[in-house]
Amino acid sequence: MNHWSPFRHNCGRGQNCHCILWNNEPAAESTMFTEVLLALVVGGVIYFLVQKSKRHQLKSEDGWWGEGTPPDREEDVSIRPYTVRTDKEELEDLYRRIDQTRSFPSLEDSQFTYGFNSQYLQNVVSYWRHDFDWRRQVEKLNKYPHYKTNIEGIDVHYVHVRPKNLPEGVTAVPLLMVHGWPGSFYEFYRMIPLLTQPSNPDDIVFEVVCPSIPGYCFSEAPHKKGFDSVCAARVFHKLMKRLGFQQFYAHGGDWGWIITTNMAQLEPKIIKGLHLNFAPPSKPGLPMVLSIMLGRHFPKMFGFNEHDIQRIYPVVQNLVVESVKESGYMHIQATKPDTVGRGLNDSPVGLAAYILEKFSTWTDHDFRNLDDGGLTRKFSLDDLLTNVMIYWTSGCIISSMRFYKENFSKGLDQPHSKMPVHVPTGFACFPNELMHTPKLWVQQKYCKLKTFTPMARGGHFAAMEEPELMAQDIQNFTKMQEKRMK
Amino acid sequence: MQTIEVLKQALSSLDPTQQQQLLVAGSAVAVGGLLTCYYWVYQGTKAKRIPIGDGWWGAGEKPQSEDEKVFPFQVQTSDEEIQDLYDRIDRTRYTELLEDAGFQYGFNSTYLKKVVSHWRHQFNWKKQIAILNKYPQFKTNIEGLDVHFIHVRPPHREGQRVLPLMLVHGWPGSVYEFYRILPLLTDSLDSLAFEVICPSIPGYGFSEAPRKQGFNSLAAARVFHKLMERLGFSEYYLQGGDWGSLITTNMAQMKPECVKGLHLNMLTSKLRGFGVLFSILIGRYVPWLVGFTREDVRRLFGSVGFMERNIYEIIRETGYLHIQGTKPDSAGCGLNDSPVGLAAYILEKFSTWTDFNNRDLEDGGLERKFTLDDLLTNIMIYWTTGSIVSSMRFYKENLKTNIDNRLDNNTGVYVPTGLAAFPNELMHVPQSWARDRFRNIYSYSYMPRGGHFAAFEEPQLLADDLLQFVKKVEKL
Repeated sequence: MNHWSPFRHNCGRGQNCHCILWNNEPAAESTMFTEVLLALVVGGVIYFLVQKSKRHQLKSEDGWWGEGTPPDREEDVSIRPYTVRTDKEELEDLYRRIDQTRSFPSLEDSQFTYGFNSQYLQNVVSYWRHDFDWRRQVEKLNKYPHYKTNIEGIDVHYVHVRPKNLPEGVTAVPLLMVHGWPGSFYEFYRMIPLLTQPSNPDDIVFEVVCPSIPGYCFSEAPHKKGFDSVCAARVFHKLMKRLGFQQFYAHGGDWGWIITTNMAQLEPKIIKGLHLNFAPPSKPGLPMVLSIMLGRHFPKMFGFNEHDIQRIYPVVQNLVVESVKESGYMHIQATKPDTVGRGLNDSPVGLAAYILEKFSTWTDHDFRNLDDGGLTRKFSLDDLLTNVMIYWTSGCIISSMRFYKENFSKGLDQPHSKMPVHVPTGFACFPNELMHTPKLWVQQKYCKLKTFTPMARGGHFAAMEEPELMAQDIQNFTKMQEKRMK
Repeated sequence: MQTIEVLKQALSSLDPTQQQQLLVAGSAVAVGGLLTCYYWVYQGTKAKRIPIGDGWWGAGEKPQSEDEKVFPFQVQTSDEEIQDLYDRIDRTRYTELLEDAGFQYGFNSTYLKKVVSHWRHQFNWKKQIAILNKYPQFKTNIEGLDVHFIHVRPPHREGQRVLPLMLVHGWPGSVYEFYRILPLLTDSLDSLAFEVICPSIPGYGFSEAPRKQGFNSLAAARVFHKLMERLGFSEYYLQGGDWGSLITTNMAQMKPECVKGLHLNMLTSKLRGFGVLFSILIGRYVPWLVGFTREDVRRLFGSVGFMERNIYEIIRETGYLHIQGTKPDSAGCGLNDSPVGLAAYILEKFSTWTDFNNRDLEDGGLERKFTLDDLLTNIMIYWTTGSIVSSMRFYKENLKTNIDNRLDNNTGVYVPTGLAAFPNELMHVPQSWARDRFRNIYSYSYMPRGGHFAAFEEPQLLADDLLQFVKKVEKL
């Protein structure tokens, strides 16, 4: 009887086959045991490799967020144009509330360290009351077409800008831009012309869709519990499908980051490219931990540049203490959104203080030590107050806060946070972003990181603060992707 | 010299085994002796009190002399104030509720409308003010701040001994929390009664708010000591919960000679240290080994385990602490304009901190233990004084430096201490953990019912426990 030999048998496939033959020869006990073990090991390895390469796709079930139970009739898929409006009563009510504000003086020399400084707040409020022209701002808002459409039981609002005067043979590249908290679609207004009507003829012309997250601004708030980022991602996929887009690019920061990431995880084939300016790691993997421990002494090994070192070290101060100092709002909104938002929906000044404090501190931490919070160094009061007015007139502050609870209440260990992203990604790394993420950390989740651009300046609200820089980076990333596809 | 020779001879006469045994025994004794010496030295040098310090919290510079007069004070209101409140209530902008949310997302909007309706149409602020004013109130300027307090002297009774007692409130409470316990302490037929001082913490209620940064519990403790001194008391008892617990503890650490006894209904534990962690790990299975009673086990672990009962609950419930400890001005600004917002923010605590299970109820179980009139009176104190922002700042002042490293956190409390552990308090601290800080515990009682606002919710139980503690201290 022949001894087992993988290279001398007649299966017809020649020498490179992997047949393992049992022959009739009585082999020694130990040899047989070794063979079984080897088979198990090889089998195990093959299984492991096959499993790993099978890309885990995020799953999501359909939802219904309207009041009561879903009606029997067909879903209303109509798209209705929408105009932002205001009237005399709205303004008078606002002014009356502003006039009856009961302010409370800040502590001496506390600048913005205890929150929004009362002295400077009075300046802002005075401007709001006497110089800010809401009617003019509403006209500005309406210069781009707005629409609403009903998805999963709630009216979703969005701005849809089609480029005008497209040159021959050029199709616009569709781009979805998702905002965060406490921002809105208005954050993108200065970027939209740079993307839809670029001055450089080599630049890509985009067709831009900016939706409002359900519960924010002019989108209806969900009436049922459980509307988290994956639900928002699914709703936005349905929106883009309804608008006729088979494939598109997506951009996001703050909540927009996680929603667009979820979109890429839900339907990777539909998202041609993902562009982000914010991507805090959801769980520290081994490379990240090692880089924190050793990065200061071996920066090259982890790809750290000087700015990375400056932002990360000393670790406890920068990563832990700063986070604790600035995440109080997140903690209370993730646990008691209805409580914290209640007073803000009645008090326009309270709402402004709460929201504008973020526009100050998240643009640059050092602004906390300024009497005026450095607010007007990067933004105009008109732009800032327009954003606040969107929250005020829509009364959406509570529902905007509920999004935190929906996302965090199930814990930080959600399926999507453990899943990598296989869609081509571009990351714009702004120097004053809330949470600094060097390239290595971003790569942990975004396996196909194509561009990582250290930006010259800018903080958390980068789209509003540095629209040219952001638009440029989106252009670069998209051009690279489009070339690749050709 | 000779003794050594004798010893040497004695040692060499032993065989090797015996020499070894002697060596082992000798080493054990030596090590034991060293450890004991170290312990004595360590204990001896550990501080038994904290420094008193000084401060000035008024606007601008400190003047040359301090005004020490004590002025009578009465709570007042006006028709304008009430009308302004009603106007604001009428203009409240409600938000759509989330279906089936109970109190999980915070104060439920449906029930909030009921509370507000009562406030608008049934609650009588003028009547409540008359109730507030039934106890004599005063103000006096200490360290630049007008400090408000209630001073209740018991009626003279033959054979009744009267002892001075200070009750300190917390957040989001006020002196009004003590209005149900005051008669039990001052107007009883017991052999013992109390002359009670209830101050308002500066920045809360009718006490002026500090203008300078840094007014923390140590500053409040010192101010309250000065208050008692100004009123002519040299020795007194203290009782406190919430911030009052920390302030009175600090008072006992600052001037132990003045504090005859300290009674607390809320404690916190650092949840650190080998002893504590070890007891968490095995306490459920061998409670007797780590000094837990069965009741301790029940309260710490419940039916859901330590992590869930304590850690997750703490995370779920401390959002307010986090934001108030970092951005009080932002958190409080809107609440000072919106009475309904203020009510929702504060009453949510009265619901949840009385019983965690209240979060699942549509009405938050609010009226099970309190009347709406009492709850709204407390809110009105915050509203009419506009003190919500300054009350929140107290969190930042205490938390902005790492509280674990603060001197008072590493100093023991040596005055006679009585602890009342209420079952629905935010966190249960067993006596074995409390002993780490409180070195002279005279009584530790498991209360049968009650939550965080013990004086407000179960005044009789608290008064009884306080009385039995004081009697122990007085050896009655």
